[in-house]
Amino acid sequence: MQTLLELAQGPLFRLTFAIMALGLLRILILDIWGAVEAYRKAGDKNIPWGQAFRKSLAWLFPVGKAFGSRPVYSLFSILFHIGLILVPLFLFAHVELWKSGIGLGWVTLPKDWADYLTLSTIIFGLALFIGRVAFRASSFLSRKQDIIWPLALIVPFITGYICANTGIAPAGYQFFMLIHILSAELIFALLPFTKIAHCVLMPLSQFVATLAWRFPPDTDEPVAISLNKKGVPV
Amino acid sequence: MNKNRVSEEERARALKPTKKPEVIQRQRLPVRYHVEDYDVADRPRRFLEAFAVILRHSNYRFALEHFIRMSAKCSRCSVQCQVYLASGDLKDIPCYRSELLLGVYRRHFTMGGMLKGRVLGDSGLTDEMIEEIAESFWNCTACRRCSMECPAGIDHGLITHLGRYILSEIGIAPRALVVSVREQLEGKTGNTSAIPVPALLDTLEFLQDDMRETKGVEIKFPLDVEGCDYVFFPAVSDYLMEADTLMGIAAVFAATGDSWTTGTGYFDGINYGLFYSDRMLERIVKKVHAEAARLKGKNILIGECGHASRSAKYFVPTYCGGERALPVINIMEYTLQVLREGRLKLDPNIVTEKVAYHDPCNIARQGWIIDQPREILKAFCKNYIEMEPHGENNICCGGGGGTVSIDEIRPYRTTIAGKVKAEQIRASGCNYLVAPCANCKKQLRELVEDQKIDCEVVGLHDLIYKAIKFDKKQQKK
Repeated sequence: MQTLLELAQGPLFRLTFAIMALGLLRILILDIWGAVEAYRKAGDKNIPWGQAFRKSLAWLFPVGKAFGSRPVYSLFSILFHIGLILVPLFLFAHVELWKSGIGLGWVTLPKDWADYLTLSTIIFGLALFIGRVAFRASSFLSRKQDIIWPLALIVPFITGYICANTGIAPAGYQFFMLIHILSAELIFALLPFTKIAHCVLMPLSQFVATLAWRFPPDTDEPVAISLNKKGVPV
Repeated sequence: MNKNRVSEEERARALKPTKKPEVIQRQRLPVRYHVEDYDVADRPRRFLEAFAVILRHSNYRFALEHFIRMSAKCSRCSVQCQVYLASGDLKDIPCYRSELLLGVYRRHFTMGGMLKGRVLGDSGLTDEMIEEIAESFWNCTACRRCSMECPAGIDHGLITHLGRYILSEIGIAPRALVVSVREQLEGKTGNTSAIPVPALLDTLEFLQDDMRETKGVEIKFPLDVEGCDYVFFPAVSDYLMEADTLMGIAAVFAATGDSWTTGTGYFDGINYGLFYSDRMLERIVKKVHAEAARLKGKNILIGECGHASRSAKYFVPTYCGGERALPVINIMEYTLQVLREGRLKLDPNIVTEKVAYHDPCNIARQGWIIDQPREILKAFCKNYIEMEPHGENNICCGGGGGTVSIDEIRPYRTTIAGKVKAEQIRASGCNYLVAPCANCKKQLRELVEDQKIDCEVVGLHDLIYKAIKFDKKQQKK
C-alpha cells in the first residue's frame, strides 16, 4: 500500500498533472488561435468586445443566471462548482503539499469551510447526477460522460473528506488516501479530452459566439468554384 | 404538464405530410417542406464535401471546435425553445439538433473522430442522418433564444444556419425560398415578390393618391433621387401587403422633410440568404449596397423587417468593405430620432386601444432594437402594455428563420412553432399587436387566425400613420 501511495503521490501525479496542464494549454492556445484567425479573416472587424465581456462575466459568476432556466438545476450546479473549484485549490493540506513541493504557497480555506464546501460538493454532485437521470430532457441528451462525470468528480471529495476527518475511518486512511489521489489523477488525465475542458475554455465562449457571426468577405466565389458551381444558376 | 404543450390531435394536424408519397420517394426526403428535384445520389459524400469546402472558406471551424469541447448537454435550452415547449418532442431540443451537426463534424473533421471511426468501424454520415438533419434544421425557427441561456455559449442559431447552408449546397432547401432568391438574383424583376418596376410605380402612385385624400398632404415616394440621406429598402412584399406601413414611413419623411429615395434598380430588403445560404446572403447584400452606392446615398435605410435589417446591419460591413461600407439603420431608429428632435408630431388621442409590441428576433436578440419602438409607441399610445417575456428574451412569432415563407407548413407554424407566442398574445389581451417585421406580421396574422385570437396585427408605422399630425404649412402642399 505504501509503495502504491508513493507511486501515486510521485511519478503518477507528475505525469497526470503534466497531461492536464499541457492538454489544457494546448486547447486554450488552439481556441485563442482560432479566434485570432477568425478576427483576421472577418470582413467586419467592429466587434462588440464590451458586450461579449459583460456576457462572459455574467456566465463566469452566474448569480443572475441561477433563477432563470431550470432554476433548481442551475442553483445546484452553481453550488456544486463553488466547492469543486475552491476546495482543491485552497485546501490547507493541498497548499502545504505545493509549499513542500515547489516552495509556493497561498491563502487557504479554514478547516470548517473546507469541510462544508466538500460536503456541499458531494451533495450537489449527487443531486446533479440524479437530475441528469431523472429530468426527461437531460437524460435524453446525455452522453456517457455527462452521466459519469458528476459521480467521478465527487469521488476525490468523499475520500478526501474521510481522510481529513480521521475519526470516520481511522483504519482505512491509507486506502482512502490512495483512492483520493488516484481518482483525482484520473480526472487530471481525462480533463482536457472531455467536456470538463470548459474549466479553461469557459471565459472564451461569449467571444467565440460573437466572432463566429463575423464572416469572411467574398466567399461566394471560392465556395462555388470548389463545388463546381461557378456560373450555375441559383 | 406544460400549458403550452399541444394535444395529440393538434400534433397530428401540425405534422401531417404535405407531399405525395411518390415525391418523397423520388426525392428521398420525408420532410414537410417542398424541395425542388435534386441529385439524390451519393448524398453523404456530397454533404461532407460541401461541409469541407464551407469550413475552408469560412469562420465556422473555430466555433465548432469550441462548441464540441464545451457542450455539456445541460438541457437549459430546452426550457427556452418555443418549439420544444409546444411539441414536447425531445428531438426538438436545440442541443439535440445541434449535436446532429456537431456529431458529423466530430466524426469526419477531427482527428479523434476519424480515428475512433476507423477503430470502431463506424462508417459515419448516412442518408438517414441527412434526412434527420434536413427535417430538424427546418423545424427550428432560428430565433436564437436558446443561445441566450446556454452556459457553454453554444450558438444553436449559428449551427442551424450552417447546417442549412450545407444542405442547400446539396440541393436540399425549401423551394419557396430558393424560387424567391432565384427571382431576386437572376429573374427579370430582381426582387423576391417578382414586382416589375411599372407595377411598383403604379402602387406608389396609388398610395400617394390615397395619402392625399386621407391626410390632405402631398406625400411622395421619391424615386431614383441621387445624393439622398437615406436609400430605402423595405421587405418588397410590403408593396403588396403592407400599404399602411409604407404610407406611415412616407408620412414621417413628409413631416420631417429629410431626403430619402427608393431605387428602381433594386428595391428589395429581403435576404433569404440569411436563412439558408451564406453565398446567397453575400450576393443579396452586395446588391443592396450597390444600389445605395449607385444613388450616392448616405445611409441604407431598412424598413420594418427584422431579418432584412439584421442581414444589412451585420453583413453590409462584412461584404462591402468594413468601415468603408455605407451605414445601415432601421426605420424605427430614424423615426425615434426625429420624434426626439420634435420634428414628428403624433396625436395621443387617436390610438386608444390596448397596444402591445412584439420584438422581432432578428433585431432584438442582440439588443439592437428594443427600446426605440417602445419609446415611440409610448409617446402616442395611451394604452401601451408589455408582454412577458420581451426584449432580448422575447418569444419568436413561430415563423422565424424563413419558415414563414413556406406556406405548406402553415399548420406546423401556427400549431406548434407559434403556440407559446399565441398564448402570450392571448394573455396580453391586446387589441393591436405591433410587429415591425414583414415575416412576423405574416406569421402572427396566420397565428391569430388559426388560434382564434381577437387582435389585429399591424406595423409600427401603421399606427404612426393614424396618429401623425401635419402643420398647416405642410397641409397646403
